[in-house]
Amino acid sequence: MIVVTCPVCGIKGDETDFHYGGQAHVRRPATTDPVNITDEEQRDYLFIRHNPKGLHFERWRCDRGCGKWFHAARDTVTLDFKAFYGITELPPVELQQQAKGPWADYFQSRAKAR
Amino acid sequence: MLEARFETPLANCEAATGTYVSLREIGERGMIDLRGSAGDKKFLAAAKAVLEVDLPKQPRTSATWGDIRVFWLSPDQWLITCPRARAQDLSEALSAELAGVHSLAVNVSDMRAIIRLEGEGVREVVMKGTSIDLTHGDYPPGSVRRMRFAEIAALLHVVEDNVIDIYVFRSYAHYAWEFLRKAARKGSEVRVFPKAV
Repeated sequence: MIVVTCPVCGIKGDETDFHYGGQAHVRRPATTDPVNITDEEQRDYLFIRHNPKGLHFERWRCDRGCGKWFHAARDTVTLDFKAFYGITELPPVELQQQAKGPWADYFQSRAKAR
Repeated sequence: MLEARFETPLANCEAATGTYVSLREIGERGMIDLRGSAGDKKFLAAAKAVLEVDLPKQPRTSATWGDIRVFWLSPDQWLITCPRARAQDLSEALSAELAGVHSLAVNVSDMRAIIRLEGEGVREVVMKGTSIDLTHGDYPPGSVRRMRFAEIAALLHVVEDNVIDIYVFRSYAHYAWEFLRKAARKGSEVRVFPKAV
């Protein structure tokens, strides 16, 4: 059993009170360049998910509580949650620094944009 | 000629006897679903003008004024309970006051059934159907939350330390009633949880 805490309403419960929403911070290429997007980019966006051993950023919904979506960072080995944060937010800086794969690129590009 | 007659969701259920907490239906209560942005001052002011009470902004809390009670359900949703006879007028008054503000007020008095549990051990009985820890200090009187209860969606309202109201959708009313009747039957006391702090 994994215990989830909703950052919106603050309730704590096991995963049956929540709904898992897949990988977080997936970039949709068509948002930035809808004309020149390749089939491969669109395929990666729709179907290819990162499946690391270790730190994983994901979306959850407070399904039986306030109904809001939020983000979580979880270790896929220990099932320990490292952080819960809002759906429009980025994870805490130290977790951003630990991020690997597509997340590392994403957080870097967000930091540059700021 | 047949006449439409109001009947509460649990009007024909079997009475709860032989239980260690008392169970009864609260039938005559009106409910209004109110949606709008907690960040919108116009919305908050309009709601207060009608209800005479500020909408609670803290998660899982409720506010009471006279016979009106407002539950926080999410950052943009509240449930208002009032005497059933007032619900229609109140929802119309809210809609009129909220004209031009992005919001919604609907009379949902027939949408849910309310079951009241009363007596020593109510928290334990409710915990038989949910993963939440009601003995924790997070649930003082007045607290409200939605939860997964006996595999269905339910709304929990801690009225007093030993009085809990459970709101379930009308179509689940009979199931929830039967679940509670069994969960609360005499001889099934657990009594291992500390008293709520």
